[in-house]
Amino acid sequence: MTGEASIASVNCDPVPARAGIGLRSQHHESILTASPRPAWIEAHTENYFHAGGPAVRALEKARELYPLSLHGVGLGLGSADPLDREHLGRVRTAVHRFAPALVSEHACWAHVDGRHYNDLLPLPYTEEAVEHLSARVREVQDVLGRQLLIENLSAYVSFAESQLSEGEFLAAVVERSGCGLLLDVNNAYVNASNLGLDLGAFFDAVPPRAVQEIHLAGHSRRRVGGRELLIDDHGSAVCAEVWELYAHAIRRFGPVPTLIEWDNDVPALDVLLAEAARADRLLEQAHAAAA
Amino acid sequence: MPPPRESSPGLREVQAAFGRGLCDDSIDGDDMQVLAPDAGAPAFDAQFDVYRNNAWQFFLAALERTFPVLQKRVGQEFFRRLTREYRAQHPSRRGDLHWAGAAFPAWLAVRLAGTGYQWLADLARLEWACEESVAAAQSPALSIGQLGAIAPDALAQVTVRFQPSLSTVDSPYPVWTVWQANQGDDSDSGPTDLAQGGEHCVVACVADRVSVYRLDPADYRLLQRLHAGECFGDAIASARVDAGVLARLLAWAFSEDLVVGISPTAPG
Repeated sequence: MTGEASIASVNCDPVPARAGIGLRSQHHESILTASPRPAWIEAHTENYFHAGGPAVRALEKARELYPLSLHGVGLGLGSADPLDREHLGRVRTAVHRFAPALVSEHACWAHVDGRHYNDLLPLPYTEEAVEHLSARVREVQDVLGRQLLIENLSAYVSFAESQLSEGEFLAAVVERSGCGLLLDVNNAYVNASNLGLDLGAFFDAVPPRAVQEIHLAGHSRRRVGGRELLIDDHGSAVCAEVWELYAHAIRRFGPVPTLIEWDNDVPALDVLLAEAARADRLLEQAHAAAA
Repeated sequence: MPPPRESSPGLREVQAAFGRGLCDDSIDGDDMQVLAPDAGAPAFDAQFDVYRNNAWQFFLAALERTFPVLQKRVGQEFFRRLTREYRAQHPSRRGDLHWAGAAFPAWLAVRLAGTGYQWLADLARLEWACEESVAAAQSPALSIGQLGAIAPDALAQVTVRFQPSLSTVDSPYPVWTVWQANQGDDSDSGPTDLAQGGEHCVVACVADRVSVYRLDPADYRLLQRLHAGECFGDAIASARVDAGVLARLLAWAFSEDLVVGISPTAPG
């Protein structure tokens, strides 16, 4: 099979407004026989760029069973450097090959002056950044021929130049690019603690109909420079405060596909499924309230 | 929100200053003032360090994944030192860290030249070949029976195609022996006896499993000629081997599911 080929058999269902889990190499086998099954899976796009190999094969098998979301981490859409068209071409190939129901990336930058930092770096919330990111998102959507979801970041520094709040920034990008939003509730919580983000104002500023997916993850706490910093490390269970914020989010934005995102110190599949079940219970309540 | 300063830095200027801060731990607060007025203060620096640490750890982890045997042989501390030096000269240029180690073997060859450890560059070359192999497409293998269906007088003109994941690595050092002895978490080959001489390796990924084979020099020369697309007759001549070597090599290659194409195919 070449990189351009699409797989023969895929689950063509849309990603449902239920809980899914991230596909990690530790679960490539067990996800195929999981009971109960998660409602859908998400995979990091860059992990499936290769023409072959065990990871690609595992996603092909899982794709027969599960609706899929592809989540990119490497485009650095807000970078002042030109868009990496080779990388975008690989994303396009992966989208063609695995036919995901949702495709997402981040409101971040990652490379400058030809050097890539391979991280999700924060943007200043300025008019220039809104325009730049929106243009990039439009360009990517044109190449992929579909809508992109953009995820809010966790951040550890903010910029003196910012003229907009984070919520206003995201709302402006949605308006100018036509993208949707992937709302990471843990990231918003981390930013409230680290940078003083006003969660009420943030949620008010985010256009409700734009939110098409939610991420939930764990964070760690570290004392740095005489203060406590929350580190968005995706290495533990979702904390009580984030569950509470999530319940608020789906009351405001409605029940949307929700991912349990656990990338480091990955636990047994059962642990992830238990977290997903907890999200599903809250989603059921939101479905009932919306009925 | 505070009003913008009189002369606001543009997006590129902000990102360039941020990038300089990520690369250089010693950069002072003045340069970072373009980011925030409190740049240089302990709290800001500590928060910025999260990014510095991420950029370094992600790069290091990519090389650790790609060169596990090399790391085992040189120890974690020296591996980190090498990685730090390498990253300063060959920073990541792509959004996919898989490629971060592509230039590492050649860089090591220069860095370790004349030290008595230059063989480690060849070990790295072998590990990079494994990395590329696992990422390559895999094709259905053919059986040797399909070769048997070709008329004997046509065999000299036959070419074979190998798995796209197949590559060759040769070294004046025993890199296959070292690689083989360091598979598994608790394996340790002990001191390396460089006097045992060079080895010729073939790397391929079949059924999602990477294998590293050691071939004798004649087999290796012939495989390289066949891999380059020469027909059986030409390959035997240019590799300076007899038909017995060809028969042995083909039997091995088919048995390992390495042959994916035969041309011309048998009629009918």
